[in-house]
Amino acid sequence: MWLLLALLPALPFMSKFYLLLAFDALLFGTIAMSLDLLMGYTGLVSFGHAAFFGLGAYASAVLLERGIVSLWACLLGALLVVGLYALVVSFFATARRGIYFALLTLIFAEVVYTFFRYTQTFGGSDGIQGVPSPRLIGDVAIDTPLRNYYLVLVYLGLAYLACRVLVTSHFGRVLVAIRENEDRTRFLGYDVQRYKLAVCMISALLTGLGGALYPGRSAFATPDLMLWTVSGEFIIMVMIGGLGTLAGPVVGGAFFVLLQEKVSSYVDWYFIVIGLVLIFIVLFMPRGLLGVRDLLGGRRWRTTA
Amino acid sequence: MAHDGIVLEVDAVSKSFGALAALSKVSFAVRQGQVFSVIGPNGAGKSTLFNVISGLHVPTVGRVRFRGREIAGLAPEAINRLGIAKTFQITNIFPEISVFENVRVAAQSRARESGRLASLWRLPDVEPGTAELLRAFGLAAKRDELAESLSHGEQRYLEICLALATEPTLLLLDEPTAGMTPGETKEATALIRRIAAARGLTVLLIEHDMSVVMGISDRIAVLHFGEKIAEGAPEQIRNDPQVIEAYLGPPEA
Repeated sequence: MWLLLALLPALPFMSKFYLLLAFDALLFGTIAMSLDLLMGYTGLVSFGHAAFFGLGAYASAVLLERGIVSLWACLLGALLVVGLYALVVSFFATARRGIYFALLTLIFAEVVYTFFRYTQTFGGSDGIQGVPSPRLIGDVAIDTPLRNYYLVLVYLGLAYLACRVLVTSHFGRVLVAIRENEDRTRFLGYDVQRYKLAVCMISALLTGLGGALYPGRSAFATPDLMLWTVSGEFIIMVMIGGLGTLAGPVVGGAFFVLLQEKVSSYVDWYFIVIGLVLIFIVLFMPRGLLGVRDLLGGRRWRTTA
Repeated sequence: MAHDGIVLEVDAVSKSFGALAALSKVSFAVRQGQVFSVIGPNGAGKSTLFNVISGLHVPTVGRVRFRGREIAGLAPEAINRLGIAKTFQITNIFPEISVFENVRVAAQSRARESGRLASLWRLPDVEPGTAELLRAFGLAAKRDELAESLSHGEQRYLEICLALATEPTLLLLDEPTAGMTPGETKEATALIRRIAAARGLTVLLIEHDMSVVMGISDRIAVLHFGEKIAEGAPEQIRNDPQVIEAYLGPPEA
């Protein structure tokens, strides 16, 4: 699979346009995977991941605009900004459960959106436009669609590795226990809020780092990246890919991006088509796109009583 | 008044919910290695008492000491880490993961990595202890099945396994045989007694069925409308007129 992705740009029809589309597919796949840590493993639905993504993008765009063009500086900036914001959100949100958690993440994200949209400090509704490409080392700029594609592919690989290690660790098992039965987990000696706080931070930072890569591809950061509908799209990506599988949401994210692009190039009312496809997937493939692979591969179907 | 051999001391504990006094001035002491039972009709305040000891409720008045240390008001997870584990009256397990994973997550709570940074990438090996527990409760053959697919009796055993996996020194059992058939109940009480003895556990047991506790308890306290009306050896309790009245109603006038 990784090899296929690495060789993808060599295909004859991979124009610049398709390379950028592939960049988006992998980037949003990575973000959906980060959100899966919360949704699929811990049972927490965040309605505010667009804010982590957008803040990462702004942190990076602001630095690039001011001539700080090191990619590493951009990533570090995103880590700090998103980390600080996520710490505040997580602290309040993890004290609550279920719908309250979702609402708190949404409200915080709306505050961030409103700030960037209605104050001129960071360009208001236009955001920050026309930023230069970040530099990897020295004079090596990530300035072509091909380079951007490989950058996001490497990021996806590293983030996947990190998430995979995390969910198979001690920590990951406790997350699943929290999803299954939060109260009982406390009675086994686990400080549940600490675990929830930690997983929120990890998910937010992975999303924020993804956001930091975005201005390098698009040369902008706008408040629209933080719209609540974007958070909703992240959730849909996780759902259609398959909750609690990591690889599923990557597929889901990529699928969503490609579907949106393909359908919108034919009809204006593409959201209706997308909606129908999503309803079909949710109704008939409850385990998501990845569930189909398990069926075909003859894996043991989950035995329910 | 610290006393050698006293593991748990409940000292004049009262708990009210609004106008309802669920517990009033309940006191007793559980000694090392004892099986101590608290019995009483439904609604006597038994579960409230357990919730106070295990950290779910803060007592309105009174103290709870574990090995001389005040624990009233600590969070459930902190109390568990001190060595008190609780089972639930209504089965409270992790339904959609395997039986083995259920016990694993409980057992790893005592692993060296727990609560440390290394827990983010390491998975402690708790296989030996977990397998032994599952064997003791006859669940070894079902280790890879989902917990929700177990029979009621097996789920009750898994419930106890979860508590034991956290390596407690004091085990709180809230009606462990609830919903079991008389045959299963007999088997379960014998098993609990045997395992408690083998592990050197002190057990505090809640039960409304008097026949269950008579066989396995060293000492019994009786709650009625939130008050302790009697305490003593099983024989004394069986013949206590007040206890008989509480269970059977007042004698005909």
